[in-house]
Amino acid sequence: MTSTGQSMSSPDAFSESILSCENITKSFLGVNALNGATFDVPKNKITALIGPNGAGKTTLVNILSGAMKSDSGTTHLGSVDVTNLESYKIARMGLMRTFQLSRELGGLTVLENLLVAPKVQAGESLFNIFLRPRLLQREERQNIERATEILATYGLYELRDNRARELSGGQKKLLEISRGVMAAPTVFLLDEPMAGVNPALIDRIAGYILDMKRQGMTVLMIEHNLNVVEKICDFVIVLAEGKTLATGRLSELRANPEVVQAYLGEVISAGTTN
Amino acid sequence: MSAFWYYVFTLVFFLFDYFILAMGLNIQYGETGILNFAYIGFVAIGAYMTGVAGMPNAGTSGQHYILGLNLPFPINLIIGGLSASALAFLVALITLRRLRTDYLAMVLISLSLVLYDISNNFIPLFNGADGLYNVPEPFASALKLTTNSFVPFFAGVAGVVALILWFFMSRITRSPLGRTLRAIRDDPTVASALGKGVFRYQLTSMLVGSFYAGVGGGLLIQFGGSFNPTAWLPGETFVIFAVIIVGGVGNNVGMLVGALVVETLLIHLPAFLPAIPGHPGLIEYIDTMVIGVVLMIMLWFRPQGIVPERVRRSKFLLPDFAPSGGGAVIAPTGPAIPTEEAAGAGPPFFIEEKDV
Amino acid sequence: MAQFWLAFGFGLVTASVLAIAAVGLSLQFGITNYINFAYGDFMALGSYLTYEVNTSLLHWNVWIALVFGSLAMGVIAVLLNRFLLGPFARRFQRSFFVLIVTFGLSLIMLNVIYSIWGTNVRSYNMPIEQVLHIGPFLLTRNQLIVMAISVVLMVLVHVMLKTTRLGKSMRAMSDNTTLAMTSGIDTRRITTITWFLSGTLAGLAGTVLAITEGNLTPASGELFLFVIFAAVIVGGVGSIYGAMAGAVLIGLTTEVSAAFINPAYKLDIAFIILILTLLFRPSGLFARPERA
Repeated sequence: MTSTGQSMSSPDAFSESILSCENITKSFLGVNALNGATFDVPKNKITALIGPNGAGKTTLVNILSGAMKSDSGTTHLGSVDVTNLESYKIARMGLMRTFQLSRELGGLTVLENLLVAPKVQAGESLFNIFLRPRLLQREERQNIERATEILATYGLYELRDNRARELSGGQKKLLEISRGVMAAPTVFLLDEPMAGVNPALIDRIAGYILDMKRQGMTVLMIEHNLNVVEKICDFVIVLAEGKTLATGRLSELRANPEVVQAYLGEVISAGTTN
Repeated sequence: MSAFWYYVFTLVFFLFDYFILAMGLNIQYGETGILNFAYIGFVAIGAYMTGVAGMPNAGTSGQHYILGLNLPFPINLIIGGLSASALAFLVALITLRRLRTDYLAMVLISLSLVLYDISNNFIPLFNGADGLYNVPEPFASALKLTTNSFVPFFAGVAGVVALILWFFMSRITRSPLGRTLRAIRDDPTVASALGKGVFRYQLTSMLVGSFYAGVGGGLLIQFGGSFNPTAWLPGETFVIFAVIIVGGVGNNVGMLVGALVVETLLIHLPAFLPAIPGHPGLIEYIDTMVIGVVLMIMLWFRPQGIVPERVRRSKFLLPDFAPSGGGAVIAPTGPAIPTEEAAGAGPPFFIEEKDV
Repeated sequence: MAQFWLAFGFGLVTASVLAIAAVGLSLQFGITNYINFAYGDFMALGSYLTYEVNTSLLHWNVWIALVFGSLAMGVIAVLLNRFLLGPFARRFQRSFFVLIVTFGLSLIMLNVIYSIWGTNVRSYNMPIEQVLHIGPFLLTRNQLIVMAISVVLMVLVHVMLKTTRLGKSMRAMSDNTTLAMTSGIDTRRITTITWFLSGTLAGLAGTVLAITEGNLTPASGELFLFVIFAAVIVGGVGSIYGAMAGAVLIGLTTEVSAAFINPAYKLDIAFIILILTLLFRPSGLFARPERA
């Protein structure tokens, strides 16, 4: 684990780790974005990744999901070393992610956005398209039924035939999350799922995230809103200046002066007012 | 047969042929987002290979070319298509994995110019600037077709080939494969994050599209009977881009409409206008400029084309579509987020104290 | 060996022309972040504008006409950006559209040249040149002037980028447009100036290409385009100094290889180098570090 933080509770207190990274470094044009980030994400829990702006949170999600290569360090998904694997390979092992600014597949309909998500589809092979049409139909029917259920849960069912680019900002957030759920991941990385959405929707998204845990997923989410973190997250990782500053329950971290100084103090005082 | 009908059937042939070429470029650019500025190079390879697969051994003909297999139609045509795919495989392997869109376009347009340069200069393989001539006309001797009756006959052949290829293409674009290709076009990063091996799908798209390019080229060379290197300059790729953009990117029917508007109306009809005295070729130059301008106007005012990409509605995906949810919005299955009052009854990890 | 040095001399001439063209393309790419596929036709049009002033309009000496042709091309580039390329680039987020528009522009410009000047090979009105022996090289006075122009221009570009306010703004924009805009740089003005410089360099490169080749044809710029692309990619796309280095490398290799293979294929050598670069060092030989 890390060297700096004091009151760190190990994830053993929760369960085994399913996603971990060790000594990740990454620099852009000579500026260090990550400077030896190390942590474990406990299995089937909701973990928050918090830290001040520029702490390297999104860079870390990019590296964990394979969208970016780290300069050094290792990442593991379960017991498999996934360091710098291409993102589609990591996704196939069961890790999904969302993006900070929603990235919908704009030309596809809402329903199609979900239908793309299942990782292995027989209908994606030229051979099957022409020689196994029945298999294709069966698979497509199953996928559509499952996608329909998910869309209904996320309140997007009525929008199923709209092109995704026509959706509002909040709807795009929901679409992106439901698309990830459609892929049935074991680990789901959410990059600020509540950013820029209205308070009512924040509550709904929090409910969806609790649902994911109930269904057995592990969630790692970047979140600035400590009220949300407090309510739904089991475990918190604090990142500052590209390093893991501390890990543990939020209550423990609040007692940690280093954490408070780096981050919590100012945000808490600002956060409790709204 | 009158000259009028001869020209009508010539136009019909070009309509079908450019329909095929447009479908091939459409799966690459319109469905997958690969800006293939070398497309005409794949058409040229298909044309050349179809030609030499159908021609007799070069021997004493005075021309230089490879193969000379004397193969009958449509085997030579398939060889043409497969050759274009083979080139696409090589090109994709070197370039697709490494380059972002615009670098890829740079490399491809360079490739197009180099292919042109080589076919124009390299006599042992391509017969240099002379190209190929006396390419056999399929079925012409068997059916005792004259030069006049061959034109309507081969326009019909092109129509049949186009119909078959249309059937295959619509199966592909309707399938989950087509959907994944469009996902890659819209955002390759997201597609990759969803577990799609982007390179593999782009490769598939390049191979399929290039096969269409090769077949379209093969039909062209058999219709015209000759292979002329200057017909394959990069500007020709632009014409096919104009066809798909005017017709409607991402829509196979749009390809036929685009071929009608651009290829038949804008390119071949003006050829019947009388030349402006003292300015040979001026009409052709102006015509080409008009195509460029039309394309820019289309891109600005109607980027979706005459026949826009189909919205694939759920009814279309599954005819007896009847959702289990019945359309109602269902709340999250678990309890909603605990309210302030209920906080004490929350899960064990819940934090009581608010202040640091 | 004598043959090698002769070819090396020609290589320096080609490298000089190529450097002007490649720097003009890279400047604009760095600022707008899309490739101008009509750049070869910018070159051709510039060379024909020079031709017009040189042979019929004013009968100016070719070196003075060249200044006119280049600056006129710079103005045309500014207008094209203002009324065509700029609007497309701003309206459509993804670069597909503007790339297709530059591709279409290339076809339009080529046919404008065909319409006005026809397809015949033409040449500038300038005195027949004596060939000079300089060390192991055999060069004409014109080729020496072209080399001198190129060297002076490269130094000027370097000084501009490193010392002037304009150059610093350009470098800031090419690193990060949004950041440059928020830090008070008038990005629109810089973009206009860059298009002017890019167009001027294109016109100049087109003219000196025609001078060193001894003739002008409408498609010469377009066929030269892939050599420029090769220089730019080998040097690392977007890097001005990479473009200069790539130009020297590609210029020398193509001409020196022409001493040993059929000269008809000498430009195709550039493509082979391009492919080798892509295979073994895809970010270019002189690439700048990865961006966030």
